[in-house]
Amino acid sequence: MKVVVRAFARFREVVGDVNTLDIPEGSGIQELLTALGARSHECRDLLFDEEGRVREHIIVMVNRRRLARNAIASTVLSEEDEVAIYPPVAGG
Amino acid sequence: MQNKAEVSTGNMLSEKETGRYSRQISYIGEEGQERLKSAHVVLAGTGGLGCPAAAYLCAAGVGRLTLIDSDQVELANLNRQILHWEKDIGRNKVISAREKLEAMNPWVIIEDIFETVTMKNAPALTEQASLIIDALDNFSARYALNHAALQNGIPCIHGAVCGLDGHITTVIPGRTACLQCIFPHPPGGSDVPVIGTTPGIIGLLQAHEAIKLITGIGTVLENRLLIWDGRDSSIATVHLERDPECRACGINSSYATRTGERQ
Repeated sequence: MKVVVRAFARFREVVGDVNTLDIPEGSGIQELLTALGARSHECRDLLFDEEGRVREHIIVMVNRRRLARNAIASTVLSEEDEVAIYPPVAGG
Repeated sequence: MQNKAEVSTGNMLSEKETGRYSRQISYIGEEGQERLKSAHVVLAGTGGLGCPAAAYLCAAGVGRLTLIDSDQVELANLNRQILHWEKDIGRNKVISAREKLEAMNPWVIIEDIFETVTMKNAPALTEQASLIIDALDNFSARYALNHAALQNGIPCIHGAVCGLDGHITTVIPGRTACLQCIFPHPPGGSDVPVIGTTPGIIGLLQAHEAIKLITGIGTVLENRLLIWDGRDSSIATVHLERDPECRACGINSSYATRTGERQ
């Protein structure tokens, strides 16, 4: 199935302009992030910590709704879902 | 310099002020300008975001601006912190910024507070404000400011930048997601690379949000996070909502207990 990916900020720089991603039917957010992380080392480092967990500060939105961190593992995606990923900035 | 006494006589506009702000009075009316004059903006951070925000709020005629910062001007600040100049290196940023702002618009009262924003001092530093601008550079101070905004029930306009990226949202206690709802885990690092125009753009958007909130024109970024991507100069806004589990404003927080939101 195809899902729409919107990458923001630094993540967009690293992952490139991905518009849609083909992932197996029944995949969830975790599988999508793993597929994105597999694109490059930089990508993986931005998304996952040393233990392979999704970095805590990364904001994941599904169909423009913020996904709670504890929902990342259990959220299953459907065809044409839109997943947005934003690694927030902190400086001033 | 104008006579300061003239400034502090209520919120009526003098003839000189009416002339100074005529281009915007024709849009927001004298009533809108008087609202700006009666407003007290507390601006935490006088760096990359704080300089442009303060400059435009000062030029717009916000009545009272309180600047809070505990840093000194460094050479590496000068690519973006436009109120600090070569001659200011080593001086306290709040003093450097205050001088420029006073010279820019003597009708605005500028206060400088040389302090680091902490959980302990933030509520008292902000309690007199009509609104707060979060132009800080690290999340521990930002969380402290958010906490104070909630405690005092004062809107807080949050902005942050890195490199070519920036974001901004307007937090209205009780009505919108707070900073802790949006960013429950702090992004790391404050000593970030930054192209000067990035905080320029976000700082100006913060001033813009402030002017809208004060005068009532337009709609502010309530429950919306505006994300600026300077690579292709694109803007996206994403929808936000309050997190019922939020440590700062959720159902189990002291905020909910105090405001009666907890059922």
